[in-house]
Amino acid sequence: MEEEEGKTKVKNKALEEDLAIFLEDVSTIYEGERRPAIKGVSISIRRKELVYIVGPNASGKTTLLETINGLLPLYKGRVFVLGLNVRTYGNEVRREIGYVPQDFMFDPGEPYKALDVVLMGRYGKIGILRRPKEEDLRKAMETLRLMGIDDQANKPVGKLSGGQQQKVMIARALAKEPKILLMDEPFSNLDPDSRERIPELIGRLHEERGLTTVIVTHDVHRISRLCRRVIVMGGGRIVADEGPENALTLLDTSRPHILGGVWHHDVA
Amino acid sequence: MMWLELAFIQRALIACILSGLLTGLIGVFVARMRLSAIGYAMSHGAFAGASLGVAISVNPLLTALFFSATTALLIGPVADKARMPADLVTSIAFPLNMALAFIFLTLSPYVGLSSEVASVLWGSVVSMTNEDLLCLTILFTASLVLIQLFWKELFAIMFDRKMAEADGINTKPFLYFIIFLIGLVITFALKLVGGILIFALLFNPASSALQFLHDMRKIIMVSPILGAFSCLSGLIVSIFLDLPVGSCIVLISTFIFAISVLFSPKRRRKEVKP
Repeated sequence: MEEEEGKTKVKNKALEEDLAIFLEDVSTIYEGERRPAIKGVSISIRRKELVYIVGPNASGKTTLLETINGLLPLYKGRVFVLGLNVRTYGNEVRREIGYVPQDFMFDPGEPYKALDVVLMGRYGKIGILRRPKEEDLRKAMETLRLMGIDDQANKPVGKLSGGQQQKVMIARALAKEPKILLMDEPFSNLDPDSRERIPELIGRLHEERGLTTVIVTHDVHRISRLCRRVIVMGGGRIVADEGPENALTLLDTSRPHILGGVWHHDVA
Repeated sequence: MMWLELAFIQRALIACILSGLLTGLIGVFVARMRLSAIGYAMSHGAFAGASLGVAISVNPLLTALFFSATTALLIGPVADKARMPADLVTSIAFPLNMALAFIFLTLSPYVGLSSEVASVLWGSVVSMTNEDLLCLTILFTASLVLIQLFWKELFAIMFDRKMAEADGINTKPFLYFIIFLIGLVITFALKLVGGILIFALLFNPASSALQFLHDMRKIIMVSPILGAFSCLSGLIVSIFLDLPVGSCIVLISTFIFAISVLFSPKRRRKEVKP
């Protein structure tokens, strides 16, 4: 029964067309752990939405992202992305998701050039037994230029600064021209100048390309003005999910109350 | 240069070049895909297997392959899911395989250090047959073709397996493919270098190349050359000094590694990924 359900796409047409991400009562447990890292999480994110996920450390933000793109095995619940069941169509789904992982630091001796790393983002999409073409290379260079580091394209990625490495990872996620962008603390290592410019750029891409964007941050001061929805996580659960009208005001006015409470709860 | 005309020396020279190229090539994947623990255990599994083959007079290639595959099957899922630390697994597997190997060798019908026993222990120049050379050639050609075909995926997995997965590459089949290749390469190179030292040949050339090169495409070409050079010069030294060939090969490849560390431009670089 479970198997059969997993193999079919979503029957509900409205769901398929409208929702980019759909989680229903999802729990994820890391191997060897007893307590789930996220529990009973249900979220619907529509196409072309820009959503911020905030919360203290260890509140399950990263786990949530890696549950959405299917990198972590599900313990309970259902996850659909772009109308596809992630459990069955994991690779197909991941080809449409640009993922920027948290704290990606390269070894100085890493034998890969920045351009190699960005081009790799397209490999899944190019498909097995096919070579990257001129167009793939052009797209990779284009995203490096967007990030303002096209002059570093042929440098070993480990020799770049922390901020430049982060830009390489953002470029990698964008190079595949994804339908969904999942970013985990993507601006943490950027220099002050880029910290203004890059989030603005992401906001612009989100608007221009209709890119469904989910950004995880624990820095609530950095939430983009374009943001229409904020999900607050604490202790592996969703604590608040605020609509476009309330999100920022709520965060402004009752931050000490809501987030402070979560912070405290999490520490305890 | 009379010795060069001897058929068994010629066979040994060709076997050296092929084994060196193969181990150097596969070694890059071992080093970059964090497979050194499983490669280490498989090497000694092959050693125990070859010993069993000698003991019961079955082709040691077959038993070595069987044992190294079994080791991979037993350890693979553990190493993959990292439920147990890799060094714990190898610490258990190494003495176990050694103990088995020594028991099998004691049970062998050969008296003392016959060439059969010696070739399993530390390699033997005289033991290479034409069939061995043919197997090595086929294996090398097949590896080259397959690696060329799937280079894009392997290139991405060697960079970071999780990120490759996040970009929609199904990494598991490639991981198993490489583990399978490791088993084959160990089995066929074992006769030359011996079961105790074969792992060094899988690890040293690749680690040396990773020390001083910044481009994966160059590393995958230079590492096999270093492997072939180590094997060839090790063989020649062993012939002239009448020392075990495996030991000479390992000493030279370790020497190359030491040189590459000393002159590595990657000063701040940590050790090769374990």
